[in-house]
Amino acid sequence: MVLVLCEEGDLAAAWAAERLRERSIEVDVVTGADLAAAGHLEHRIGVDGITFELALADGRQLSRARVHGMLNRLSFLPSAWVRRLGGPDRDYALQESYALYLSWLHAFEGPKLNAPTPQGLCGNWRHPSAWAALALQVDLPAKPYRQSSRDDPGVLWQGAMAPPPAAAYVVGERVVAEPPVQAFAAPCRRLAAAAGASLLGIDFAAGADGHWHFTGATVLPDLVRGGAPLADALAEVFRP
Amino acid sequence: MILLCGIPSESPLAMVARELDALGAAYRVLNQRKVAAHDIAWQIDGAGLAGTLTLEGETLSLAAIDAVYVRLMDDRFLPELEEEPEGSPARRHARGFHDALQRWLEIAPGRVVNRAEPQGSNGSKPYQAQLIQKYGLRIPETLITNDPDAVLAFRRQHGTIIYKSISGVRSIVQAFADEDVDRLDHIRWCPVQFQALVPGTDVRVHVIGDETFATEIVSDKIDYRYAKRAGGSAELRATELPSDIVEKCIALTRGLDLAFVGIDLKRTPDGEFFCFEVNPSPAFSFYEANTEQPIARAVARYLAGAT
Repeated sequence: MVLVLCEEGDLAAAWAAERLRERSIEVDVVTGADLAAAGHLEHRIGVDGITFELALADGRQLSRARVHGMLNRLSFLPSAWVRRLGGPDRDYALQESYALYLSWLHAFEGPKLNAPTPQGLCGNWRHPSAWAALALQVDLPAKPYRQSSRDDPGVLWQGAMAPPPAAAYVVGERVVAEPPVQAFAAPCRRLAAAAGASLLGIDFAAGADGHWHFTGATVLPDLVRGGAPLADALAEVFRP
Repeated sequence: MILLCGIPSESPLAMVARELDALGAAYRVLNQRKVAAHDIAWQIDGAGLAGTLTLEGETLSLAAIDAVYVRLMDDRFLPELEEEPEGSPARRHARGFHDALQRWLEIAPGRVVNRAEPQGSNGSKPYQAQLIQKYGLRIPETLITNDPDAVLAFRRQHGTIIYKSISGVRSIVQAFADEDVDRLDHIRWCPVQFQALVPGTDVRVHVIGDETFATEIVSDKIDYRYAKRAGGSAELRATELPSDIVEKCIALTRGLDLAFVGIDLKRTPDGEFFCFEVNPSPAFSFYEANTEQPIARAVARYLAGAT
């Protein structure tokens, strides 16, 4: 079974789950609300291996033995769980919860799009400066990035609100790129590898000179935009 | 050029500076408490990464910095900013400077001890334990649960058990005692990590590059770091480890992409080793002060590219 983990309103996750089912992949969608309402939890690590069991309120059992792949769309703890935490120990409870999610998500075997990291549960949520450095490393043309003491760090984190003019996706070894940026397939693949991401959405814009350049990347891309070619690539990763 | 970042009087930073002096290596100290007199600006473009760092009037090219030892404290709590209101120009400058510095440290070429990103595994002990296992080191039997019955069964199976945080916060190890059974129901609200108690002697291993320094700690308390606070004692002495354990510690450090770590081991009476944690920002001065092991010298040599 392929586990699709997502927040309740994640349309891209619902789209991907449906497309995977159409391609004969067994899928179980578990939302943040499902996780927040779950009951019995046991996670063991030791000489006999690693186990994870979680009883969902609707009777489903989430276990390491059942899950053979994961489309992971939780960038942070489920909102429904975060809303439940309060009081003077709230920050501590958040840290503990994140540490637990990181461990049990890591414990699953099989392909993970994406594996959890300390910097983001669905993959490393990099700063724009880190993406710019990786783009340089893999020879992907990019807009210059500048930072100094005078910049407001909060503003630097803010991404573009509008959809990118062109996008590419890396899924495992495959690249699904829109026509204007298909020539960048090789550096896109290298970027995902350098970023340790099995699933990466890569954004492009055209400069005043008409040349396309990298503007950012995300481990939580809008999958719907990728259409059938992206759905095929996702299914290929999860097909036994 | 080597850059030391932090507060110059802090023991690890001061000890490494002293050793760099002894080596005759060129270095500068970025005194965090003088942040108002520092500036940094850099850029990444097709030509690469370039920029400048100004420390109290002296401007350095970032390209001239080959190695950095990072002991920065949270800039929001610097004593110099204590009287500054939220959002004041001084606070905004300090935040902007530290963010730009830390972003550069993450992508700077050269030896950075340690970058922030690879330190992340220390924020989740069971996650880190899974990484530790991959390098062939044993970890204690671990259960994380919100089910009191599972804890009691785990206790019946292993005898004495301990509990501690899952994250890196409030990480004090406590023995699970009979009186804790009555409050076990609280774990239904937030799962807790339990481990089988591993009997034996604590060993702290500092790994810097390919060098290791093992320190044995004999204490009458479960968590020797807090022994004195708990009315106990802790005696430290240098020790030797079997070569296979040394190799695993070095491989683990490299595998985590860290240059300098403090690895917490326990040697059982049977001579087996268990690994509890990899500390990516070890305050080694406590161990060096008690054993005279030349850890600061090894850090200095690593920064200078001598190892």
